[in-house]
Amino acid sequence: MDNTLVNVGVAQLKNSASPTVLRTILGSCVGICIFDRIKKIGGLAHILLPNDTTNGIAIEKYADTAIPHLVNLLIKAGGKNENFSAKIVGGASMFKFQSSLSLGQIGERNIEETKSTLKKLNIPILEEDVGGSAGRVINFHLQDGHLKVKSAGNEKIYYKV
Amino acid sequence: MHEHIKQRIETVINNIDQLPSIPEVATKIINMVNDPDVSFKKIAEELSKDQAMTTNILKLCNSAFFSKGKEITSIDRAIVTLGLKEVKDIVMVVATKPILNKFVIGYDLGKGDLWKQGLVVGTIAKKIAILKGKKIIADTVFTGGIIHNIGKIILALYVQNTFKDIMNAVETKNITFNQAEQEIMGFNHQQVGEKILAKWNFPEILRMIVLYYNNPEEAPAETQMEVSIVHIANVLSLMSGIGVGSDGLFHEISPFAIKKIGLTEDELMEIFSKIPETLKQLKEIL
Repeated sequence: MDNTLVNVGVAQLKNSASPTVLRTILGSCVGICIFDRIKKIGGLAHILLPNDTTNGIAIEKYADTAIPHLVNLLIKAGGKNENFSAKIVGGASMFKFQSSLSLGQIGERNIEETKSTLKKLNIPILEEDVGGSAGRVINFHLQDGHLKVKSAGNEKIYYKV
Repeated sequence: MHEHIKQRIETVINNIDQLPSIPEVATKIINMVNDPDVSFKKIAEELSKDQAMTTNILKLCNSAFFSKGKEITSIDRAIVTLGLKEVKDIVMVVATKPILNKFVIGYDLGKGDLWKQGLVVGTIAKKIAILKGKKIIADTVFTGGIIHNIGKIILALYVQNTFKDIMNAVETKNITFNQAEQEIMGFNHQQVGEKILAKWNFPEILRMIVLYYNNPEEAPAETQMEVSIVHIANVLSLMSGIGVGSDGLFHEISPFAIKKIGLTEDELMEIFSKIPETLKQLKEIL
């Protein structure tokens, strides 16, 4: 089982096929899991910030550049836009912070930009486990697209694809 | 409050044999560096006595993270080329890795997560110190960052047994995770960490970093800069998902710390956005 597990680090994205399991750990970052239900391929982008301010030097770091990049990779691997669906996870905020501090709002802004980018690409979000202050360890199973989310001692499984 | 758990923790932290040990040479070096009368020679001699440690130290001296280009083949050369403080940082990395590079149950940290977080927090803290023109404390906050969470390795077992009650206290009383630890178990991981450093005879400043990194405003005035820097480095690390366990982000961003260091919002965002690059730099020594 372990040989199918692939870790995705901060500001990285990976795509693969069944039976790979893509794993990452999220704080304020958002994990975007895209699956092609016909082709059984998918990918996970772990974005750190909402908008690219570097003119494409680090496209995997930002929601607005990483998500289109992941979609392109999946299309190159034989996927079709109309068969894609997304699950999004993460975007937590620190439990307590001064409301004027923009650092404290990164989680929320990451969620917002993720949603708007997916909308532009016409990819439906079927499940979301976002916000709050819990960290999340996620396993995205490309065998059938289900997603396991472990947070604050609880485990949830999202099946919709 | 679970009285029996509090008593068990009390027994552990008051019993030196139950706390982790660190090679004696690490304690010697960390205290020698703070002594202006100490000679390079004495330090090199002290380090060279431990062959296994010397090998690991030299390996790190020649890693991309620490290297200054020239190949270093002896402790003497390391001190001359890199400087005493840098060599001390390297000794701390070598000495603490075996203690921190483990699974931490209770906090749900996988093998290596606590170690990785320590290195990331230490490195970010060092960067903040240099950015704000406080190079003189860069080595202290680096070491403090590496070991700031050390109490978790002892408290993990008890957190596992009381996790639901701790989370319940967080949610119903609107308190941070470490405040809830103290409420439920009588101790938080900072207090336990400080006991470990006391056992090792580590300097006061490192003990204060470990004890107050979650609430820098309560630290003794003369330590608040160092404590605040490690506090912010830890917040940024958690937000990026590094070192996030069952306690999640149930912590606070201290406005006091931001003000104390004089960090602007732009600087905070810049450091946060460079965390992936920081991780890349550390890859070799993880």
